[in-house]
Amino acid sequence: MAGSIPIDVALCSNAFEPLAELQQWPHQENDAATAIFIGRMRSQGSSAEELEAMQLEHYPGMTERQLQHLASDAASSHGVRAVLLRHRIGRVTPNQALVLVAVSADRRGPAQRCCQALLEAIKHDAPFWKQEISRSGKRRWIEGNTPL
Amino acid sequence: MQQSSGSITVRLFAALREQAGWDQRSWPLNGGADALSVWQALGFGDAIPDGTRVAINQEFESPRQQLQQGDELAFLPPISGG
Repeated sequence: MAGSIPIDVALCSNAFEPLAELQQWPHQENDAATAIFIGRMRSQGSSAEELEAMQLEHYPGMTERQLQHLASDAASSHGVRAVLLRHRIGRVTPNQALVLVAVSADRRGPAQRCCQALLEAIKHDAPFWKQEISRSGKRRWIEGNTPL
Repeated sequence: MQQSSGSITVRLFAALREQAGWDQRSWPLNGGADALSVWQALGFGDAIPDGTRVAINQEFESPRQQLQQGDELAFLPPISGG
């Protein structure tokens, strides 16, 4: 039952350390298989310019609910035991973590498949918008996602 | 002319917000209005561009979903999370 699967979702307005988040998440020690994805901000923009920062906008209320909904759906579909999800908002600088997805299960297959499916769902169905800020001060909204 | 039957809140995000110069406003609701008709009435164009999505009360909806008094209608330009 999806309702009984622990889903731990949070938006982070400040830099977070993914490994520290994982250390505090009991499921990665208790379950047989854990799949982890950590996404970090690139130092180069979509036009290969060096970036100073990126601004991550979201839709307060809808974004949180949508992340919870997507994580619950993915967890239920793949029959996993727990999901941990962290996503940055606000001003992010190169190499800072943008997203952490961790999925624990009793086998590697469900854990890995759920992790990938949830990440793709976030990229397509969670209301976030990235604005690149180049070192020269130019700002540009990114539409869509980088290739898989 | 259609009768006004209350109002809705319209919200814009990201590039769309910057292009329009506002992020939120109250908008009169006419009978039978949907997101597409509001988009047109706001002067944004005849059609909602591909990739721009509609949310009503913070849930994704069809642009042809009829609006109700008090709804929060959001136009979401192409999203880029993760």
